[in-house]
Amino acid sequence: MGKFQLGEFEEVVMLTVGVLPKEAYGVSIKKEIESRLSRKVSVGALQSALKRLEKKGYLKSYEGKGTQERVGRPKLFFEITAEGKEALQFTRKTRNELWEEMLNLALDVKYSSQ
Amino acid sequence: MVEDQHTLPSRLAERFLTAVCKRDLIEEILGDLHQYYEESAEKPIWKRKIHFWFHVLNFLRPFALKNLGGDYRLNQFGLLINYVKISWRNLIKNPLSSFINIIGLSFAIGICLVAYAMLEWDYTKDQFHENKDEVFLATTLVNRNGSEVQYGSTPGPLAKMLKEEFSQVSKVCRVKDAKVVMKYQNKVFHEEARYTDPEFLEMLTFPLKWGSPASLKDPNSIILSEEMSIKYFGYENPIGREVFLVFDPSYKKAFTVAGVAEPFPVARTIDFDLLLNIENVGLVSPNTDFEAWAASVDATFIQLNDKSDIDFIKQNIGKYILSLNESQSDRNISSLSFEPLASLAHRSGDIVNSISYELPPEKMTLPVLGLIILIIACFNYINMAISSATKRLKEIGLRKAIGANRRKIIIQFLTENLIITCFAVILGIVLCVTLMLPWNNMLIFKYYFGFDLALELLDMKFWIFLLAIVLVTGIASGLYPSLFIARFKVTDIFAGSVRYGKKNKLTKAFLLIQLILTSISLTVGVALIQNTTYLRNSSWGYDQQEILYVNTDHTAFQQFYNLIEQNANVLSLAGSEHHLGATVAPQRVMTKKDVYEVHQLLVDANYLETMGLKLKSGRFFVRSGDENALVVNEMFLKNLDISQSTGQSVELDGSLYEIIGVVEDFHTFNFDFAIRPTIFMLAELSDYKYLSIRVRNDKADETYKELEQHWAGLFPEIPFQGGFQRDILLIDERANEGAKFILSIAFVAVMLVTLGLYGLVILNVAGRNKELCIRKALGANIINITKTIAGQYTILFVTALVIAVPLSYFAAEAFLDLLYFYHMPVSSSAILFSVTILLLVLFMVAFTQVKKVSGSNPTDGLKVE
Repeated sequence: MGKFQLGEFEEVVMLTVGVLPKEAYGVSIKKEIESRLSRKVSVGALQSALKRLEKKGYLKSYEGKGTQERVGRPKLFFEITAEGKEALQFTRKTRNELWEEMLNLALDVKYSSQ
Repeated sequence: MVEDQHTLPSRLAERFLTAVCKRDLIEEILGDLHQYYEESAEKPIWKRKIHFWFHVLNFLRPFALKNLGGDYRLNQFGLLINYVKISWRNLIKNPLSSFINIIGLSFAIGICLVAYAMLEWDYTKDQFHENKDEVFLATTLVNRNGSEVQYGSTPGPLAKMLKEEFSQVSKVCRVKDAKVVMKYQNKVFHEEARYTDPEFLEMLTFPLKWGSPASLKDPNSIILSEEMSIKYFGYENPIGREVFLVFDPSYKKAFTVAGVAEPFPVARTIDFDLLLNIENVGLVSPNTDFEAWAASVDATFIQLNDKSDIDFIKQNIGKYILSLNESQSDRNISSLSFEPLASLAHRSGDIVNSISYELPPEKMTLPVLGLIILIIACFNYINMAISSATKRLKEIGLRKAIGANRRKIIIQFLTENLIITCFAVILGIVLCVTLMLPWNNMLIFKYYFGFDLALELLDMKFWIFLLAIVLVTGIASGLYPSLFIARFKVTDIFAGSVRYGKKNKLTKAFLLIQLILTSISLTVGVALIQNTTYLRNSSWGYDQQEILYVNTDHTAFQQFYNLIEQNANVLSLAGSEHHLGATVAPQRVMTKKDVYEVHQLLVDANYLETMGLKLKSGRFFVRSGDENALVVNEMFLKNLDISQSTGQSVELDGSLYEIIGVVEDFHTFNFDFAIRPTIFMLAELSDYKYLSIRVRNDKADETYKELEQHWAGLFPEIPFQGGFQRDILLIDERANEGAKFILSIAFVAVMLVTLGLYGLVILNVAGRNKELCIRKALGANIINITKTIAGQYTILFVTALVIAVPLSYFAAEAFLDLLYFYHMPVSSSAILFSVTILLLVLFMVAFTQVKKVSGSNPTDGLKVE
């Protein structure tokens, strides 16, 4: 099903938006990914992923209030849409199916080879 | 204010981002960036700023770029892909004009690439030496007839003196070249040996493949070039093998191979075949004492610790020159000059007897020809593009109607042109590598350098050059047509009122220039070929046809002489130290008025008669008693302003010589060189190096074979070396090959002009199809149609030829002057030839179209579907 196509990074971004209800905007998403996955995220990569997801209709955005540290510029918050949720669930389902089948077959191989 | 400064990490970055980023994204991203900036307050401010800049640039991806004013986008990949697609379709749709454009440009680019390979060689030669800036060639400046002449050869002890007197000089080395016979098992050949100090391999960068450079210290070791190693030993490692150097039939010495050099870089002017310790030079010429100031070596190199020390040496060299001249009265050195190795080759044109060399001035022929062909090909493209725009009027109109502006149309047509140029470049590289370069190497470079020129496809510079060629030709040929096409108004296009192409003045001007350039290159080519024939038949000033010569030395001479004397075909024999066409010695002659530079040949009493030199007054030498006599040529009398021919005395090496005879002028060397004042004097038997033999008519080939057999019988260890005097000037081969090359490039030009003209006439006829049909329907005959089609071109051709004839004449004359000191005047037949060829081109092209039109049915052209 090409309908719900999510790249690895896109998926991570979506999930991170999901764990930050009402608080998901550029800076917080970046920090959250960096701390949870212990990897560096560049602003450009994150922003282009967010814009792409928004274009696909998986995320929607709304403006918040500006703060002093942002020199009065508003934050742009993101939240998952219904379609986004469907896409995540689809991804999870397919991954789970794969995991289960692999557990039965492939993990034996792993133990025996050790 | 302070806080403001604090919160704005970089105004510039912010402004930049605002300028290129989509407006609806700016607020958010700038907010984010400021927040990062604030939160990383513990880091130093410069780090935070760099971080800020980094993220600004990192953010700029295609999705974030804004449209820049009007309809001009920063990223218009879609449109670009459309341009490529349309260009491709056009290429396929018009195979004829695509063929003409691509073939023309690729030939031009191919020739330019050959020129590039040559210039690249020229500019990188000898630059591979690691010490090229610290190593200098010592040269002597000598005052001759009022002007300073720079010599690359120097007194032998100079190296030692420089090393001892100047602490700045870290290393010195002398170089002396001499011919030798090398023998390994049954392989025996004549070779050039280079005798030098062990420092040679430290100062110049010639890494060894096998063996150690230090072995040069051992006078019993020999180091070979890779080429020599392969010649004698094949591909195996020859270290430790023993070879013999045969210095004369009675003396040979064994040497151990102690090193083989890596292949030399192609861009070099200095190298070696055999490298030997300079102590061995005594074996070649036992009478020369290299510690004496009178002896000279072929080169003296010095190496400094710091290249700027050369100024100190230059300033303090004066006092040594004084003492140097005292020991050598006639040498008259005015000063020493030091040439850095890095620029030595380029200066070598002005240095007499330089160890390095510079390409002759005619090296510029190739780049000039390449440029001419490139211009012709570009003009072809421009003309075709303008004329064929007729077919694309609707496309242009449509594009404009749906919003393409001028800039878009220009970019579209330039893109098309760049695509064609790219095809041409690919084909050009193929042509160059497979056809032109091997051919050129075969014809020209082998003669000049003895090695092949190659395109370094992996070199960065090559790709930069290629890119430059694509851009320059692409834009030069594409800019005008695209500007021209973009100018049309939509309403005019659809109203059908755009009128152009048939009478475009620029098209005609371009055709005119093409014809003139073609005519010039044709005339030069033909004049060169004619000149070769002329030189082949012109007199050398002596009778070269029935003379053979043999390289020998004084021990072999007498034995061989006695044997050959009995041969029935031999008319007369002569020995000499120098030989016409091969070697002369520079010599200085003093009269009461001045000192003059002359060529000196030391010969025996029979030489002048044997060579067939023509006596003008006085007499030739007699066998004895003429030790202080001179025979001179006419040029000698003329230059030294001696009115009375014989009986005069001049001073030479401190003693007086009487002129006993005058011979008519003759060509000692090629026709490239002027005839110099020349003197003949009697040589010592121990100095004989040549045996000249006059044989009966038509017996030269037969006798030559006999000579070889006799020599092999007498001296089995020394290969025979000799030849026909008629081949000694190498006129035919070299000049002929050069001429052939230029003529074939001229024919490429003719081909391009033909193709270009053909394309133009076809488009012209196609555009006037209705007119021609109506004319036919109304009764126009073939003459009438020919007039209609060819009329405007005939006028153009006549104009072009009127301009081209004098230009061609002067160009050919100037080119021959550059190549030869003596050449034939440019003949009218050379010019006539190029005129005929060009008129033939016009007739042929016009004929094909006239035939097509007169054979067609006018109703076909007039009916409307």
